[in-house]
Amino acid sequence: MAILSRDVYKEFEDVVGPENITDDPALMPSYFNTEHAAIVLPGSTKEVQALVKLCNKHKLRFRAICTGWTGMFPRGIVLFDLRRMNRIIEINEKNMYAVVEPYVISAELQAECMKRGLNFCIKGAGSNCTALLRGHGHMDQTTSGDDRNHLAIEWVTPEGEIVRTGSLGSSDEWFCGDGPGPSLRAILTSAVPPGVTPGVFTKAAIKLYHWPGPTKFPVVGHSPRYTLSHIPPNMMARYYSFPSVEKMWQAEIRIGEAEIAYELMGFNAAMVAANITTCNEEDEAMFKRLSREVQGPGFFIIIAGNSADDFAYKKKVLENIVAEAGGKSLKTVEDPEIEGILLCQCIRISASIRETFRPGGAFNSIPIMGQRDLTIKWAIGAGEAKKPLIEKGLIVDDGGAFFGWGVEHGHLGKTEIFCKYDPSNTEAKKAVEQWQKEQTARAFKERYFALTMGDQTEIGPALSNYHIWWQKTVKAIDPNSVTTESGPLV
Amino acid sequence: MGLEQYQGDMNMCCRCSCCKFIPMQKVMGPQFSYACPSIAKYNFHAYSGGGRLNIASAMLKNGFNYTDKLLHVVYNCQLCGACQVSCNYAMDMEVLEPITEFRFKCVEDGKTSPALDKAVARLRKTGSMLEASGRRGDWAKDLNLKDATKEKVDILYHAGCLSSYDKDAQKLAKTTAQVLQKAGVNFGILGDAEMCCGSRAYQMGYRDDFLKQAEKYMALIRKTGARTLVTGCADGYHAFKVLYDKFNFKKDLEVLHTSELFARLIKEGKLKPRRKVNLAVTYHDPCRLGRLGEPYIHWQGKKIPGDKFVFDPPKPYRRGTNGVYYPPRDVIKSLPGIKFTEMTRIMEYSWCCGAGGGVNESNPEFSIWAAKERVREAIATGAEAIVSTCPWCEQNFSTAIKEMNSSLKVYDIVELVARAI
Ligand code: SF4
Ligand code: SF4
Repeated sequence: MAILSRDVYKEFEDVVGPENITDDPALMPSYFNTEHAAIVLPGSTKEVQALVKLCNKHKLRFRAICTGWTGMFPRGIVLFDLRRMNRIIEINEKNMYAVVEPYVISAELQAECMKRGLNFCIKGAGSNCTALLRGHGHMDQTTSGDDRNHLAIEWVTPEGEIVRTGSLGSSDEWFCGDGPGPSLRAILTSAVPPGVTPGVFTKAAIKLYHWPGPTKFPVVGHSPRYTLSHIPPNMMARYYSFPSVEKMWQAEIRIGEAEIAYELMGFNAAMVAANITTCNEEDEAMFKRLSREVQGPGFFIIIAGNSADDFAYKKKVLENIVAEAGGKSLKTVEDPEIEGILLCQCIRISASIRETFRPGGAFNSIPIMGQRDLTIKWAIGAGEAKKPLIEKGLIVDDGGAFFGWGVEHGHLGKTEIFCKYDPSNTEAKKAVEQWQKEQTARAFKERYFALTMGDQTEIGPALSNYHIWWQKTVKAIDPNSVTTESGPLV
Repeated sequence: MGLEQYQGDMNMCCRCSCCKFIPMQKVMGPQFSYACPSIAKYNFHAYSGGGRLNIASAMLKNGFNYTDKLLHVVYNCQLCGACQVSCNYAMDMEVLEPITEFRFKCVEDGKTSPALDKAVARLRKTGSMLEASGRRGDWAKDLNLKDATKEKVDILYHAGCLSSYDKDAQKLAKTTAQVLQKAGVNFGILGDAEMCCGSRAYQMGYRDDFLKQAEKYMALIRKTGARTLVTGCADGYHAFKVLYDKFNFKKDLEVLHTSELFARLIKEGKLKPRRKVNLAVTYHDPCRLGRLGEPYIHWQGKKIPGDKFVFDPPKPYRRGTNGVYYPPRDVIKSLPGIKFTEMTRIMEYSWCCGAGGGVNESNPEFSIWAAKERVREAIATGAEAIVSTCPWCEQNFSTAIKEMNSSLKVYDIVELVARAI
């Protein structure tokens, strides 16, 4: 049964054209298996605005998605699939920012940036996702992460007003997110699709960073084993393992202080194995091999020099720091073929599909933000709690490991731990959800910020009652309650 | 077993959207980054490889709800397999097989496309998918070729429906035969007795018609005693090499594409390209010679219960790694005076010419739309000509070029070889 009356449907259709709207129930399962009132494909900000106004007129809730990996989608919403809004509006080399529409994926923008000696933060969700996604990624050391990278934004509010934030609010310039012009940072930076956008981001400027690597990687071979014909000049990738977590952290913090890492990713052996292998069976064998090779926890690091001298300097500093912390380089990663795979994989793809979805089809994760040495301690506990699930064969054996990295060469960063499992195994699913709940609760109790924390009313009181203010704000900008909330809010 | 056997694979879809694009490390910018013609044209997620799996999986669970829009989704897919390659960079799961099975199911349930029904009815009646004027073997008149039904030959040359009946495409069959004659190859043809390989019926969703065709044709091929079959049609190549193997018709028949045979002959010194061709070209990998042309792998196994989607014995996936990519390139590069440049989307992540999966017949506008996209990519290389190794590609590109008023030329590889020897 159609949710929208034909008259209302027609109003939406008049905005986007008949080929860009459907309420056919047979197509809905491709959009998260839910009954949506309609799927619409706006092609411009104007169309988004008109659609939002119609949603207000008819009190219909809506949500916008880009490539639309995950999210919560209540029944009856109008889903805006932003697939047609896929233009790179500008790459401003001088002021180092790029302006994109929502369906430009990171791989597209990054390729353009690299041609110009620039790069930007590819989020952990992968370069297959929108470039304007909020989040952290492998290159946070040099490209920072999350809301730090958003400059001016064009925003269609939940009422259908077009608001241009930051410098765009007072001029045609995109260079700053906070002025001259309205900042709205507190409202907007938790709102980039597919987060909890009250309204729709139709364009955003993203901060770009210097890229010392090649204009394109010399990728050779065939999928799924792409390698590099050679390691680009002044670049190096290594994995170091350490005798203890403390030693690893000591090295990590000193590398940060020395500002020598292009990328520092606290991978565990399981994640290295997943990234360099082409199927599950190979992955399992490689994990066993690497588990024997490592002496303890470790990290993956990329050094990139602006010149041969700069590279030599960074390499020397790295070697000293690692040696003083008792670190050991993984021989497998020193193999130029593996080194090349990891260089390209971690800079160009970032997505962890091989390490998350390939084994069983699902994973549940707890990402926590904060001071790395403290969050690592929490993660060790969460890792221990994983072990009984591994022993029972409910989740994939990764040695109970976790991962994480610092942002902007600092001691603050992200630490994350996940369980990979087969979601059709109900016992496994239940056990993983229970693990996630317990470990999130422990994080909250120990005063860490976990992205999986529950309802705002639950956590709000511990965070200056932010939820009361947030609800008031949402009420003010969305008086008809037409936007949906899903995912992390803060 | 049908679609059901892929329920596990479909459940594995994590909805990452990688199947819409070429593999991420190959993306060179916003231009030419898409792998799937269907999502690139129709935009709704349902048109992507993953979207198709999401729908098929839900319908297996909740019942099949055929709507016009759903059938539009089903039949507007070239079954080009680009989604399989991009997905299988990271995932261990079947993508193209369930998409194909879903189409079979539609046909079994009588939910067909009228245009495809018509083409298959023609096959049943005349033995060809094409509107035939004249006899199948007419193209070979005056060439004095061996009749493989009467004489023993080493190699059987299969011209295919398009090169047999289409007035423009007949030149490919003729030229191929002349080149083989020059190289002194002991080959023959079946002439009027040649049959349709059934590939296009398979792609359109009519599995039974394909199977009947394959059984009949293999019996005839076997009778000739030829150990090797050569064809210049990528659809035919895929049928003989992959589908006939999958359904156990092929046995020990060696299947070669003309480009593979030419590459071999050039290497052995039996074909000597000496004359300058003087042309800047780029090469288009036909889906069914390239990524889908890799050998079929027979496998049977069971899922190992537990935390992973793994099988005993381990399941090999056809990820496009072993397609036929180099022989055509080797041949082109061996021609004197050729300047060769690659396009952005090549080999396993090549963009489809648009003609496959019955789209040519059911939605010519979409088919040519995809071809135009490829022509634009070829033009961007600075090439004067796009070279392919399949008459269907050549036909689509020619139409696209004409509609675009472009000066780009289109050649089959045999035409260039013939010019050089
Ligand atoms: S089919 Fe594969 S690539 Fe496409 S969305 Fe599903 S998992 Fe991702
Ligand atoms: S087979 Fe080709 S056209 Fe069909 S969904 Fe896959 S990539 Fe798209």
